[in-house]
Amino acid sequence: MNMLGGEFMDIKEIKQEDISIFKISGRLDSNTSPGFEEKILEAVEAGSYKMIIDFEDIEYISSAGLRVLNKTTKQLKHSEGRLILCSMQDYVREVFEIAGFDSFLPIVTTLDEALAEF
Amino acid sequence: MSEAKVSFECKNSLSELDKLHRNIEELGKTLRLSKKDIFQITLAMEEVFSNVVSHGYTDKAEHIITIRIWHQNGTLTVRIEDDGIPFNPSEAGTPDLQCPLEERQIGGLGCHLMRCIMDDVAYKRIGDKNVLTMKKTIGAAQT
Repeated sequence: MNMLGGEFMDIKEIKQEDISIFKISGRLDSNTSPGFEEKILEAVEAGSYKMIIDFEDIEYISSAGLRVLNKTTKQLKHSEGRLILCSMQDYVREVFEIAGFDSFLPIVTTLDEALAEF
Repeated sequence: MSEAKVSFECKNSLSELDKLHRNIEELGKTLRLSKKDIFQITLAMEEVFSNVVSHGYTDKAEHIITIRIWHQNGTLTVRIEDDGIPFNPSEAGTPDLQCPLEERQIGGLGCHLMRCIMDDVAYKRIGDKNVLTMKKTIGAAQT
């Protein structure tokens, strides 16, 4: 388990050629999001610019998690990179819609679709 | 669906969110709430709670935030009481969701989510306390 995120969130980074896939499980709340932010921005700084976040095992996200995604998208713009989200539960996706985040973050159904975007 | 109520206290620390999650999950089991209902109620509560913890206090002292949740006639009510500075999340500004990403101001997003997810949000300042009451109509139990 990721120590920064506490025991309720875990992040795994998988590299597939030049694409970074983040598999996150658990909750992205005000408590765990700082750990998530540190990990993902570290990857951007290390040069990752094609990123996928797999939401399959994310059971919960709050505005704290959304803020990290907003910040990551802004950072990636500097390197002309892209962030694609996939495999979201319907009720998680609904939060992205209420927040208006679906207007700038591509959300696709499966990981394969996300990979095909690059 | 049965009637149920729960009441608990949290300190003004984000680490207390785990307690919040635990309490709603237990209530969710008792009431056989859908995952979506549990998710949305937790989300509304976290947004209010994290606002209070992050912006509600001007001192560094420990404070107690009291949370009561009860279910009656198909409506779930959540009442959050804190002794922080006066703040009415039911009137906090809505972020401009249409503006370009670079200019987007992210503050206010939590309050916006909370208001969209809950069916009714009412705020009162009683003495030195903020009292926020949120209501949500709960659908039939799903699996």
